[in-house]
Amino acid sequence: MKYLKIFFILALAGVINYACKKSYLDQAPLGQLDPSALANKNGVNGLLIGAYSLLDGYGGSGGGFGTAGSNWVYGSVSGTEAHKGSSVGDQPDIVPIETFHPTSTNSYFQGKWQMLYDGISRANDVLRTLALATDVSADEAAEISAEARALRGWYHFDAKKMWNKIPFVDETITYSAGNYLTVGNDADTWPLIEADLQYAVDNLPTSQSEVGRFNKYSAEAVLAKIYIFQQKWDAAKPLLADIIGSGKYSLVDQFHKNFDIINKNNSESILAAQASVNDGANGNNGNWGDVLNFPYGGSPGTCCGFFQPSQYLVNHFKTEAATGLHDLDNFAATDVTSDQGKLSTDAFTPYAGTLDSRLDWTVGRRGIPYLDWGVNPGNDWIRAQSDGGPYSPLKNVYSNSLQGKLTDASFWSSGTTANNVNLIRYAEVLLWAAEVEVETNGDLEKARDYVNQLRGRAANPAGNVKKYLDNSKPEGGFSNVDAANYKVGLYTVSWAGNQTLARKAVRFERALELGMEGHRFFDLVRWGVAATEIPAYFAKEKSIIGYLINGQFTTGVNEYFPIPQTEIDKSGGALKQNNGY
Amino acid sequence: MTPKSTRLVRLCCILLLLCVGSLVFSQTRRITGKVTGADGQPVPGATIAVKGTNAVTVTAADGTYSINAKQGDAIVITSVGFKTQEVRVGTQDAINPTMVTATSNLDEVVVTGYTSQKVKEITGSVAIVKPKELTAVPAGQVENMLQGRVAGLNVVNTGQPGQGAQISLGGYGNFGNTTPLYIIDGVQGDINSLNPGDVESLQVLKDAGSASIYGVRGANGVIVITTKRGRSGRPVITYDNYFGSQQPLPDGWGLLDTKGRADLYDLAVANTPGAAHNNPQYGPGPTATIPYYIVAGTKYGVTDPNDPAADLTKYNNNYGAGAIYQITRANPTGTDWFHELFRPAFQMNHTVTASGGSDKSRYLFSLGYLDQKGTYVGSYLKRYTARINTEFNLKSTIRFGENLQVSYRDNPQTGVIGETNIGMTYREQPIIPVYDEGGGFGGSRAQGLGNATNPYANAFRALDDKGYDIAVFGNVYGEVDFLKNFNFRSSFGGTYDNFYNYSFGYHQYENAENNGSNSFAENAGYNTLYDWLNQLSYSKIINNDHNVKVLIGSEAISTYSRGVGGSRINFFLDDPNYRILSNGSPTGQSNYSYANNNTSLYSLFGRLDYGYKDKYLLTATVRRDGSSIFGPENRYGTFPSFSAAWRITEESFAKGLSWLTDLKLRGSWGKMGFAGNTDPLNQYTLFGGGTGDAYYDITGASTSAVQGFRSTRIGNPKTGWQTDKKTNIGLDAIMWNGRLTFSADYYHKKSEGLLFPLALPAILGGSTPPNVNVGDVENTGFDLLLGSRGSISKDWKYDITATVTTYHNNIVNIPGIPYFEDGGLRNGNAVRNQVGHPISSFFGYHVIGIFQNDADVAKAPAQDGKAPGRFIYEDVNKDGSITADDRTFIGNPNPKFSLGFNINVSWKAFDFSTFFYGTFGNDAFNYTKYWIDFYQGFEGNKSQRALNDSWTPSRPSNTVPIQEFTSTFSSDAVINSYYVEKASYFRNKSIMLGYTLPKSVISKVGIDRLRFYIQATNLFTFTNYSGLDPEVQGRSSVQGLDYGTYPANQKQFLAGLNVTF
Repeated sequence: MKYLKIFFILALAGVINYACKKSYLDQAPLGQLDPSALANKNGVNGLLIGAYSLLDGYGGSGGGFGTAGSNWVYGSVSGTEAHKGSSVGDQPDIVPIETFHPTSTNSYFQGKWQMLYDGISRANDVLRTLALATDVSADEAAEISAEARALRGWYHFDAKKMWNKIPFVDETITYSAGNYLTVGNDADTWPLIEADLQYAVDNLPTSQSEVGRFNKYSAEAVLAKIYIFQQKWDAAKPLLADIIGSGKYSLVDQFHKNFDIINKNNSESILAAQASVNDGANGNNGNWGDVLNFPYGGSPGTCCGFFQPSQYLVNHFKTEAATGLHDLDNFAATDVTSDQGKLSTDAFTPYAGTLDSRLDWTVGRRGIPYLDWGVNPGNDWIRAQSDGGPYSPLKNVYSNSLQGKLTDASFWSSGTTANNVNLIRYAEVLLWAAEVEVETNGDLEKARDYVNQLRGRAANPAGNVKKYLDNSKPEGGFSNVDAANYKVGLYTVSWAGNQTLARKAVRFERALELGMEGHRFFDLVRWGVAATEIPAYFAKEKSIIGYLINGQFTTGVNEYFPIPQTEIDKSGGALKQNNGY
Repeated sequence: MTPKSTRLVRLCCILLLLCVGSLVFSQTRRITGKVTGADGQPVPGATIAVKGTNAVTVTAADGTYSINAKQGDAIVITSVGFKTQEVRVGTQDAINPTMVTATSNLDEVVVTGYTSQKVKEITGSVAIVKPKELTAVPAGQVENMLQGRVAGLNVVNTGQPGQGAQISLGGYGNFGNTTPLYIIDGVQGDINSLNPGDVESLQVLKDAGSASIYGVRGANGVIVITTKRGRSGRPVITYDNYFGSQQPLPDGWGLLDTKGRADLYDLAVANTPGAAHNNPQYGPGPTATIPYYIVAGTKYGVTDPNDPAADLTKYNNNYGAGAIYQITRANPTGTDWFHELFRPAFQMNHTVTASGGSDKSRYLFSLGYLDQKGTYVGSYLKRYTARINTEFNLKSTIRFGENLQVSYRDNPQTGVIGETNIGMTYREQPIIPVYDEGGGFGGSRAQGLGNATNPYANAFRALDDKGYDIAVFGNVYGEVDFLKNFNFRSSFGGTYDNFYNYSFGYHQYENAENNGSNSFAENAGYNTLYDWLNQLSYSKIINNDHNVKVLIGSEAISTYSRGVGGSRINFFLDDPNYRILSNGSPTGQSNYSYANNNTSLYSLFGRLDYGYKDKYLLTATVRRDGSSIFGPENRYGTFPSFSAAWRITEESFAKGLSWLTDLKLRGSWGKMGFAGNTDPLNQYTLFGGGTGDAYYDITGASTSAVQGFRSTRIGNPKTGWQTDKKTNIGLDAIMWNGRLTFSADYYHKKSEGLLFPLALPAILGGSTPPNVNVGDVENTGFDLLLGSRGSISKDWKYDITATVTTYHNNIVNIPGIPYFEDGGLRNGNAVRNQVGHPISSFFGYHVIGIFQNDADVAKAPAQDGKAPGRFIYEDVNKDGSITADDRTFIGNPNPKFSLGFNINVSWKAFDFSTFFYGTFGNDAFNYTKYWIDFYQGFEGNKSQRALNDSWTPSRPSNTVPIQEFTSTFSSDAVINSYYVEKASYFRNKSIMLGYTLPKSVISKVGIDRLRFYIQATNLFTFTNYSGLDPEVQGRSSVQGLDYGTYPANQKQFLAGLNVTF
C-alpha cells in the first residue's frame, strides 16, 4: 500500500511537472514571420513589393470597388463623366456620392481611407525595417527609401485630393510607441508630401530594370502633379520639362494602345498600377477595383453594368464638321443621339455628325464595334437604362481574344484583368505642361502645340474604330471603314494673347483625352469650377437618370468628401471633420 | 491498582473484546439476492454497494446479484427511478429488497464537474435532461434537441439537417461565441458528432458554483454528457428506429404569379413620373403583355410562338460548341420557385445497442445510422456512428475503461444566413421556367428579369459536391481506490477528426450574371484535441454527520489543426467523374494550406464538498488555468466559486409538513473565464502576406506576381481572460410527492473584460489589431422549471413539465465609441450594439406612417425624398429635419421570455406526449421585405401585398409603401422600422402516440419490450410574423435578422419502434 501511495504521488508529480514545463504554454506562431526575419535586404524588398501592391487599391484593408486605384467613383462618377450604372439598388453607397449628399458614415469613404493608409503604413514598414537591416549599403538604402517615400507621398496625395484635411503619417507613428492618437489633420500636409517626392526625385535612378518601380521621372511627374494641385506652376514647370526633355517617354501612335492589355507599359506609361492574373491569386492582383465596370447581360466581362458614361461626357466629343474642333462653350446643348429608351430590337441609327475618334475608345455605344466583341447592341448590354443611361465603359475592358488568357477565369466574372490602371500617362504630362503655360500666361503657343500633339494622334485615321469585316464574326477582324463619322482637327489659330481660350481648350482636351480615367472631379475642384459645372451637368443629365433630380452641389462643402466618421471616432479627437459634414 | 486504573484496564479489555468480537463477527461472506420492483418485476442494473467500502456490483437482467459483506454492514441499493434503499446485513445470506418507485430524483447520482453527486447534494444550479425528453423531438443532433428542455438555455434552430443551433445559456455574455462547453464522458468534445441515442444522461451546469471548476472554459456554461455503458448481467440488445417524411411549408413567401408580377410592373410605371414601358419582356404598354418566349437567341420578350429565332436547331447551352443560344418559353402561370427548391424529404434513423457484462467487466456496443434528408433539394445529414464503451475491474480496487466513438458525417449544407440560394426563390421571377426548351435551365439571361439565379439549378448542380468528416472521439481511463478513502483517476482522451470535401462550380449560361468558367475545388484537413486529466479524491463520513469530499486534479489540453486545398478552372468536361484537380487548366489554379496555431491549456483545480447531516451543504471550487493563447504576463487566471445549500425539509420543524417532500435553498457565487474569439497569435506582432494581398506584378509580366510582405498582426501580450462573475440564488421544491415540483433560479452575471479587437485608427495600417480586455455585458435572468406528475388512477399516469427562461441583457461598457454596428445589409447596418441597450438591438429610422398626399408631405419635417406613398419618419430629436441623428432603436430580438411545455400521459399500454415551445416579446428584422415589398432595387419577384395593399394615389395605404422605380432615403434605401416585426411564436414541436405490446405476448418470442409509435412535429405554430418562420438563427451580436431562413417549422410525420431483447 505504501508503494502504491508513493507511486501515485510520483505519478501526479510527474504529470504536473510535465505540463508545467514553461514551454508547454509557449507556442510559437505558425506560418507567419517574426519582424526580425525581415530585417535584411530581401525582407525589406519584400515589404516594398507589399507597399506597391496597393497602388491598384485592392488587397489591403477595406478593399472593394470604392477603393479602386482608378478612382472611378470619386474622379469620374462624381465628376460629370459617368453614372454609377447597373440598377439603383446595387452598390447603393455610390448614389449619394454621385448626387453630392455624401455622409461621413458611407462605407465607400471608410474603405478608401483604410486602403490608402494601409498603403502608407506599408511604406512606413519598409522604412522602419530598413533601419534595422544590416546588410544594406547606404546607396541601396537611399534607393529603397526613395521608392518607399514615393509610395507614401502618392498615397497621401490621393487622400489629400479626396479629403484635403488629412493626417500625415510617417514611420515614427506606431502602435507600440503609443503616439497614434496624436496625429491630427489640421496641419498643412503639402510640404510633407512634397518632401517625400522630392527625396524620391533626388535618390531614384532614371530607369529601373523592373517596369513597375518608381524612377526619377515618375517621381517628378507625381511631384509636378502635387505642385499643379497647389497652383505652384513655376515649381511644376521644370519637372515637366525634365520629363519631356528626357526623351524617355512619348505618345504611342494610337490612343487605344494605352488601354489595351497587350500594349501596357508602353512608352506613354509613366506610372501605373501593375495588374496580373492567373498568377495563383484568384484574380486578386488583377484590376479588381474595376471588376463591376463592364457591360451587362452575358456580354464582355459578364458583369455587372456599372460605370456608365454620361451623355454629358459623350457630348464633349462632337466636333464641327469643317474644323474638327469643339464648341467649347455650348457642347452640351445638343446631344449625340443615343438609344435611350429603345430596346435592342427597336430600330436605331447612330449619330451621323462628326465626332472625335477618342469617343469610341472611351464610351461603348449602340451600333459601334465594341473591341472584338461585336457591334454594341445597346440596351441588351445595359442593366437598366433608367438607372444608368445608354452607354457602357470601354477603357478598362479587355478584348474577347484575351479572355481567359489575360483575364482571371478563376474569378466569378472574367472582369479581373491584367489591364494596368494608368495613374500617369505621358499625355497627361503634356496637358499639365500646356496648363502651366496657360496659367502662368507663358508661351501659349507652346500650350497649343502640346494639345495639338494629342489631337494629331487622335486625327490619325489608323487609330479610329473601324467596322468589322463581318458583323456576325467580330473575331474576323476589321475593315478599313471608320465605324462613325470621325473628324478631329488641330487648333490652327494662334492662342497667343488669348489665355481664356487656351485655358478652355486645355481643360476641354483633358475631358477628351482622360475621360473615364478618374481625374475629372479633382480637376473641376482645383480649377474652382465644380460649383458651376456640376449643377449644369445635373440639370442636363437628370432627364436621363431619374435619381439625379436629387443632385445638389454645395459650394464650400462638396469640394471635398467627408472624413469617415469611424476614423474621427477612433482618433480620440485628433481628427476634425471637413467643413459642412 | 487504583480504582481509576482498574477502570481503565477494564475498559481496555472491553474494547479489546469488542475488537476481537468484531473480528469474529466481521467475517465477510457472500450475500446474494434479487432486486424487484413493487410490481414484482426484476430490477436490472441496480447498483449494490456496501456502505463505507469500495465493494460495489450491479444487478443482472433478472435482478440478481451477489456481493461480499459483513454482518452489520449496510447495503445500499440505488437504481434510476427508484428510491434508494439501505438494508442492514444481519445473519441472513440472502437479501431480496423490493424497490419503491421514486417520486423524485433526489437520490439519483449525476455527473457534474469532475465528480458525481446525488441530486440532493448538489449546491449549484444544475439542470438535468433525461434522455427520453432529449430524443422526444427528433433532430439530427443533441444541440437542437435541447430547445425548451432547460430553463435558462436559449436555443434557436433552423430546418437545415446537421446545422447546429444558435445556443446560449443565461443570456448573451459576449458578442462572439456563446456556445457552452460540452464535456462528453469527461472530455471536451463535439456535440454534433454524437448519436443522441447514445446519451445516458445530460446535465447543464448553469451557475458559477457548478461550472467554475471548468475555469476559462466555463463562462458560457457547461453541458456534461455521459454516454450509455454496459451493466452486469446477460446481454441486452435494443433496437430503435423511426421512418418519416418532412413536408415543405405550404405557403412559401406569398409572392406574385406571372400575371401579378406584370401588373405590378404596370403599377410601378404608373407611379414613377417619366417612366416608360421599356421592359424588354412586357411589350410597349400601356399594360404589360406576357411574351411567349422570354428569350430566343438574342431576342427577348418574343411574342410570336413561331418566331424564327425560336428554331430549336439553333439551341446551344454548351460553351464548347460555340455561342450560347438559349430558347426559353415564358411560364404564363408562374413558377413556384419555393416549391421547386423545397420538396418533401424522407428520413430514417436506426440505433442498435448491445450491452452486458459481469461484475468484473462491462461492455456496450452501439451502431447508429441517421439519414435525414432536408426539404431543400440536396440537403441531408447522413451519419454513421459506432460506440464501444467498456470497463474492467482488475481488482476490486482497480478499474480500467474506455469510451470510444467513431463517427462519419456526410452533411452538405446550404447557406442559411446572408444572401443565400434560398433567397433566390423570391428573387427569381415567376415568368422564368425551371427548364428551357432545349432541356437546359431557364434563367434571368432573358433580359429585363433582374439578376437572380435559378435556385433549383444551383441546388441541382451542387448535388455532386461531396464532403465528409470522420471523427474519432473518446478516452481511456484508469482508477484505483487506496487507503480506504482515496481514489486516483487518470484519463487520456481527445478528438481526431479529418474532413474532406470537393465542389464544382458550373460555367452557367442561363443567368444574367454567370460564372466565367467552370471550376473545381478540393479541400482536406484535420483537427486534433487531446486532454490528459489526473485527479485525486478523498471522501469520508465523519461521525455519520459530516460528509467531506476533497478533489484535486490537473488537466492539460492541447489543440492543433492543419488543412490543404486547391482549385482549378476550365475543365474540359462537366462530368462528375472527370473532376480531379489535375484535369483543370494550370492558369487560374490556386492552392493553400494553413496551420492553426497550437494551443495549450494547463490547469490545476480543487474542489471541497462538505455536508452536515444532509442538511447544510457547502461546496468550494477553485481552478487555476494557464493558456498559450495569452502572453506570459497575463496567461494565468484563477477562478474560484462558493456555493451553499440548505435542505429545509431536513430541519425538524419541517418534518411535520407531510405535503412538503423536499425543499432546498441554494446560493452560489463564482468567477468563470472565457478566451473565445481570441486568436492564439493575439500576443504576437507578425508579418506575412498572401498572393492576393501583398504580391505585386512589379515586372509587368501580367501573369505572375513577385512575392511581397505586409504587416499582418499587431500583438498585445497583455491581453488576458474575459471574466464572468455570476451570482445565483435558487429554490428547489417537491410537494405532495411530486404532484408539484419547481426549481427556480435568479441570477446576475457580469461579464467583464470582454475580448474586443482594439479599434485602432486606419493610420496604423491594415494589420489585424489585437484583442484586448475591454467592454462589459450584464445579464440578469429568472429561470423556472415547473413540474407535476402522478397517477389519476391505476391506469392513468401523467407527467407535465414547463420551463420558463427569461433574461435581460444590457451592454454596460464598450471602449472608445460606445457602440458598434453589425448585421450589414444592402441598405445599411441593421443592428447597433450600444451601451445601455440589449445586445443586437435593431437601429434605424422609425416609420410612423406613409405620406398619403402632398399636404402630408408639406407639413412634415424636411426629409430627403419625401413624397406621397413613401415613409414618414419620426423626427426623434424634433429639429424639424430628418437626419442620421433621428435614427433610434427600433426593435429587440431578445425574447422577454421563452417557454417549453411538455405533457406526457399514459393509459395502460398507451403513451402520449406532446411538446410546445415558444418565445415571447422578441422582434425580428424581416429583410426579405427589402426584396419583395419594394419594386425598386432588384427586379426580383415581389409580394402579393406589394400589388394588392400598397399605396397608390387612389388607394390610400398605411401598411405598404408605393411601388416605383426610384430608391430613396424615404423608402427602401435606409434601415427603418418597416422591416421590424413582432416575432413571438408558440409552436407544437411534437406530438407522439405510442403503444407498448403486452409482455405476455412478446415474451413468447423472446422480446422483453416492444413499443410502436407515431409522431408529428411542428403541426401548428401561432405567430403574427409574416416571414417563413419567426425562429431565425443568427449569432450573439446579430440575432433575428431574417434574410429568408431555412425554416425550422416544417411538418414532419414519423413512425418508429423500440425493441429490447
